[in-house]
Amino acid sequence: MSYALVRARQLDLDQFAAAAGLHPELIRRFVALGILDADRDPGGRLWFRPTQLAAVARIQRLRAGFALNYAAIGLVTDLLDQIAALQATLRTTGGRER
Amino acid sequence: MAGADQDFYRVLGVPRNASQDEIQRAYRKLARENHPDVNKDPAAEERFKDISEAYNVLSDPQTRRRYDAFGPDFRQVPEGVDPETWRRARAGAGAGAGARAGSGAGAAGGRGGFGPDIDLDDLLGGLFGGRGGRGWGAVPGADQEAEVELTVEDAYHGTRRTLTLTSPAGTRSIDVTIPAGVTDGQRIRLAGQGGRGSDGAPPGDLYLIVRIAPHRGYRLEGRDLHVELRLSPWEAALGTSIAVATPAGEVKLSVPAGTSSGRRLRMRGRGLPNPRGRPGDLFAEARIMVPATPTEAERELFERLAAVSEFDPRRRR
Repeated sequence: MSYALVRARQLDLDQFAAAAGLHPELIRRFVALGILDADRDPGGRLWFRPTQLAAVARIQRLRAGFALNYAAIGLVTDLLDQIAALQATLRTTGGRER
Repeated sequence: MAGADQDFYRVLGVPRNASQDEIQRAYRKLARENHPDVNKDPAAEERFKDISEAYNVLSDPQTRRRYDAFGPDFRQVPEGVDPETWRRARAGAGAGAGARAGSGAGAAGGRGGFGPDIDLDDLLGGLFGGRGGRGWGAVPGADQEAEVELTVEDAYHGTRRTLTLTSPAGTRSIDVTIPAGVTDGQRIRLAGQGGRGSDGAPPGDLYLIVRIAPHRGYRLEGRDLHVELRLSPWEAALGTSIAVATPAGEVKLSVPAGTSSGRRLRMRGRGLPNPRGRPGDLFAEARIMVPATPTEAERELFERLAAVSEFDPRRRR
């Protein structure tokens, strides 16, 4: 299982849902709600990078921890990502006073 | 474990007579501060678990009453027991109490009839046992961040560090090899050392953020090292060769004649090493110093120089 994850660069919906331990329909809803990124091939099938499993885990934790609805989760994850990007910029430009 | 002997009221920071509203408010606030996706500090995960566990117990008036009556061991107390009787029985039990606490928690904690899916022994019971958390299976852990401060020398040569991390599983130490040539703000990924997953899901990663401590002798810009090069007026005017201290030891630097303050002399590749590419450079910035109290002879020579020289540093060319 973990070998397949490493080798395949992208997972299809069923593989990804199995790896995340969730129903494929729920994963499809995450994508429709714009809180999970996926690539769509010309046939309309969804493909996921294995790193997206961490994004699904974060959605689950936020929902469990704060009882957020999915719209709010989208907002929170966007904000968290923006903060992470800002912090990374601060770190590398030496924003720390010395 | 960590949470078992803690007072739930103290965990939430509320008095024992707090209203359900106050308990809810304290919990929401603490949960926002310590949620593993918001707070990257490894210690926050444990706090979040304790907070959630405390709230799970105190938010339900019935469980709260039992907690107030029987204390931390309330889950082992059968329904309908009188608190006074229980206290007397416990005091008498003495040596047997420890063994019972160990074996009883798993059995009684799981299906004691308080709330959904609460299991004291489940490390992430607090995380996923509460409201809205039903139905999730295994959820991988969150990524965490910790800072590690290095000296310039450590960054140059690489070093080893032993980190002590606090998590719901207790404290653990990990040995980390920090490669030569890390820069300030760089992140080092330690796969699988982050927050733990639930139900056997994989843990997240731990990112070490490198901080390079300010150094008396050097200033760092990325991989470039900047040093101050103090020169006497005659060294600056006539040129000289000077030993400059670097993290790799002293290097000889030849100062050309006619060097003024502010001139930067560059020594290629003498900065911090780069595991993937060109190493940084060493920049020595000239700074001309004069004796604060010149001797009689020095003063005399400077006066002669002043009389003879036609050099005007303020003349624009």
